[in-house]
Amino acid sequence: MRPLKGNLTGAKRLQGDKLTEAEAIEQAKLGNEAAFKALYDLHKRRVYSLCLRMTGNTASAEDLTQEAFLQLFRKIGTFRGESAFSTWLHRMAVNVVLMQLRKKGLPVVPLDDATEGDEEGSIKKEPGAPDERLAGSIDRLRLQRAVDELPPGYRTIFVLHDVEGYEHNEIAELVGCSIGNSKSQLHKARIKLRELLRTGRAEKAGKR
Amino acid sequence: MNCLEFERVLPEFLEGGQTPEEHAHLASCPSCSNLLADLNSISSQAKLLIASEEPRPAVWDVLESRLREEGLIRSPEFIPAKTNNFWSRWRTAWLVPVAAALVMVAGLKLFHPFNAGDHEPIAKQAPAPAVVITPVSREDQVVLNSVATRIPAQRARYRADLEDANSFIRDAEQSIKDDPNDIYTQQMLINAYAQKQMLYDLAVDRSSGQ
Amino acid sequence: MSSRRSAAQFVMVLALAGVAYAAGDVRKDLHFKVGKHPMITIENPYGPVVVRAGAAHEVLVTAILHSDKVELEQSQSHNRIELVSHLLAGADQNSGVVEYEVQVPAEANLTLHSDNGRIHAEKLRGDLAMEGSNATMEVVDCAGGHVHVKTLNGPVNLTNVRGGHVEVMSMGGDVVLIGVSGPLVNVNSNSGKIQYSGDFGGEGEYDFTSHTGDIEAIAPAYASIDVFARSNQGRVESDFSLEPKHSSIYSKGGSALIGTMGKAASAVKLVSFSGKIHLKKRQN
Repeated sequence: MRPLKGNLTGAKRLQGDKLTEAEAIEQAKLGNEAAFKALYDLHKRRVYSLCLRMTGNTASAEDLTQEAFLQLFRKIGTFRGESAFSTWLHRMAVNVVLMQLRKKGLPVVPLDDATEGDEEGSIKKEPGAPDERLAGSIDRLRLQRAVDELPPGYRTIFVLHDVEGYEHNEIAELVGCSIGNSKSQLHKARIKLRELLRTGRAEKAGKR
Repeated sequence: MNCLEFERVLPEFLEGGQTPEEHAHLASCPSCSNLLADLNSISSQAKLLIASEEPRPAVWDVLESRLREEGLIRSPEFIPAKTNNFWSRWRTAWLVPVAAALVMVAGLKLFHPFNAGDHEPIAKQAPAPAVVITPVSREDQVVLNSVATRIPAQRARYRADLEDANSFIRDAEQSIKDDPNDIYTQQMLINAYAQKQMLYDLAVDRSSGQ
Repeated sequence: MSSRRSAAQFVMVLALAGVAYAAGDVRKDLHFKVGKHPMITIENPYGPVVVRAGAAHEVLVTAILHSDKVELEQSQSHNRIELVSHLLAGADQNSGVVEYEVQVPAEANLTLHSDNGRIHAEKLRGDLAMEGSNATMEVVDCAGGHVHVKTLNGPVNLTNVRGGHVEVMSMGGDVVLIGVSGPLVNVNSNSGKIQYSGDFGGEGEYDFTSHTGDIEAIAPAYASIDVFARSNQGRVESDFSLEPKHSSIYSKGGSALIGTMGKAASAVKLVSFSGKIHLKKRQN
């Protein structure tokens, strides 16, 4: 998994009391509210974004974010620093989301022969038009909207691999599919995204 | 190699298994090379989406109240963790001086102020162990009296329990004096106070609960 | 009693009524409708309180009052139910007895008090808070919720309790944990014995502390634990050979045992002032 970026690297200093993450963890074990808040502030964007990308809607993302942190804080007493705290938290968040998807009966990752949507081959060739490159650069907003449009199974794989940086073997373990399955679904997800970005169907507003 | 064949091997290609034949096809096929470039773009730009969203402040508010409900947030004034709604029965103001006494001793482990960059292990943060707070026996007496008035049959039992609790506190304090840096002894003292706290709670609760 | 109610609650005081159950006994049957995660409090100074998981969305109570010197006060405010055995003048530990048999939704959160009765909770998944001075506390087949038990001298028995935070505090009451595991299992005793029989599973933190009470932990050969066991003045024994761990814990006098078994997934701390500590291997 790739490490956190931007202002979250380094000693992970937090605002206010100048608590390091390690200190906040120790204080959180003792029930200190400011420590919980500090840990939450440090990781909330990562967790919330993950939940939002994987569910496609704000209400679910908020509930799942709360659930992930709640589970984390319940178990924080057992964290002994052998692995990165962020890795631990993130795993928990992914599991919370996957459990939710399963509960809803949504396919977490479809099997290889199932096709999603009206997918027939990997590349849809419009009659008479050559496959051109995607016009313009892929900006965050366009990509975001396109990801939201993905069928849920594709979305899960794409978010876990390309956005969050999990390896296929990790995804296979988390999601309960084979590594081959994970790879082929990822490919299909990217193909589908390309299609969505190209045809401008991602312009649909008000999904959330 | 034609486009259909290339498509089929594309996933492997992207994973790094690239043959000269495939490269040859790419060099001569704008469709496939555009496809490849787009897919690479998509997967690399995906990183833009990491941590890209901020949850509303209300999300923390709800989380915080659930943390309180579950007793995971504990008020530092009351050691031990008399934590969640289940136990909130602080009716008697005179218990606060006792709590303050607990804090002073428990401060060995829990309330040493953090200094930025100070990463000494907790054991070394203990201040001079000369501070020995003997449990205020006046408070003990008040508790016993209230139990005696309301549930005389229990008074002898409570008195014995109070002595056991005080004895534990004394033993733990002595051990801390012998070795101020021992975190396990510090924790034992906190546990000893927790037992005394429980005695107070149960006494007060039962006395005034009728 | 009414000073303890908040203004928002609707209080109903039931006068003794109904058909006599046995000589002097009066039986009351109550039925409450509730939503999800109801909170139920039962305060019963004298007598048993038995709570089991029942149907969703309802709480069924059967209460047997042993005399007219005790009243049953009940109140419901949305999802919160309170049942209190109110002792009248002249009530004692016999005439003041009320026997409770209660069925609640499995996910209900419960607060149960009794001084000398038996508090028994079974097959529940919500949070459990049990408190009493001499009552016997039993928690059986509960999973997921937090279990908090406080007693002075009553025995505490937890059997097959998993997946939540377990915190037990006792003065002289013995504490027996069989098949108890979870992220946090904490027992704080004064002179009461602490007996644990289980696998210390769940990658949890197990903290058993006592003043003078002996601590006995029986674990299987495959237990995966990181052990710190120490008694300031008592003996520490182990049937297991622990992998010695490099440790800077300073131990002055007394007896200590520090080491790991298996993958050291769970942290086990057995600390006593003068009690004997014995880490035993399960025979089977």
